[in-house]
Amino acid sequence: MSNQEIKPIDAEEIKEMLNRQKGKMKRYLSFCSHCSLCAESCFLYRAHNKDPQYMPSYKVIQSLGKLYKKRGKVDRRFLIEIKGIVWRNCVLCGRCYCPIGIHIPSMIAFTRGICRSQDVYPQPDEVSSESWL
Amino acid sequence: MGDLIDGQLVSIAFIIFVLGLLYQGSQFFKLTRKKEWILPPLPGMEKRVSKTVVQYIIAGLASLKGTLWKTDPLMMIVTSVFHVCLILVPIFLLGHNILLDQSWGLSLWSLHESFTDGLTIAVLICVAFFMMRRLFLARVRAITSFYDYFVLLIAAGPFLTGFLAYHQWFDYHIVMILHILAGELMLITIPFTKLGHMLFFFLYRFLIGSEYSFTRGSRTW
Repeated sequence: MSNQEIKPIDAEEIKEMLNRQKGKMKRYLSFCSHCSLCAESCFLYRAHNKDPQYMPSYKVIQSLGKLYKKRGKVDRRFLIEIKGIVWRNCVLCGRCYCPIGIHIPSMIAFTRGICRSQDVYPQPDEVSSESWL
Repeated sequence: MGDLIDGQLVSIAFIIFVLGLLYQGSQFFKLTRKKEWILPPLPGMEKRVSKTVVQYIIAGLASLKGTLWKTDPLMMIVTSVFHVCLILVPIFLLGHNILLDQSWGLSLWSLHESFTDGLTIAVLICVAFFMMRRLFLARVRAITSFYDYFVLLIAAGPFLTGFLAYHQWFDYHIVMILHILAGELMLITIPFTKLGHMLFFFLYRFLIGSEYSFTRGSRTW
């Protein structure tokens, strides 16, 4: 059994991490006008038959957006859910483009950091329905 | 009641609008700092080659190829028209300038009334387009919540009620009060909701190191 299933979630630690970057991340999240114009700049979105779940804004709203909404009070299941979003659905190539100027990669990277702090990250022997690469 | 809405409340809305924007702007510069390193100039930026006007236009149009004007031209046209009209109409509207002249004794020049009426219709058509996008485009629907419709309504409110008031449809007095309230609501919400992209669209340019940046993106969070 990997340590991903053992360690309890430290909600306080997540909250502290979220608060440390609050000024930046909350402004990025709240001034996103949900226009979806970032979609075409993501090669994964284009490669997956324009599936909205690969859209950069969708990935950020569903991961970091929800973390801020829940104020860090999340369970392991939630973190494992967003693990797929921030590692499998995004390769952090940094090519996403926001017309307003929101830096999406920094938000994904930050969410990865939060997941990693709770020992949630892709494992080498992970069984996945599709390739992580 | 009417005096309160078109008197004190207008002043309060303007004060919240200006102070809110100043607060957000000062917070931005407080939270960001100058980078220790400055990005090297982009290739081709060092030497300026003199071009004719036609060459400038051709180069400008060619550079659009790599932008959203190529990937989503309809949305770009609609959003450009929308944002330009959104700023122009309230500032250069004859009725607003007359009110300004009556209360402060100063006014800007005004656009012809039938022209601003046309621009108002253009804004409302653009809002309808955004609404349709939210309803029928899967990728926009995926990130749309009730809040997005509400914000769209806040932006459309002053124009819809202004249009009704200008044409004197329904009870003029009630429509006018609704128009003033809608305008005040929009001013108050701009600094604190996603309408704040009015300010942050420009502030974020200080962070971006590319051809769309201010001061070559010399600031960082």
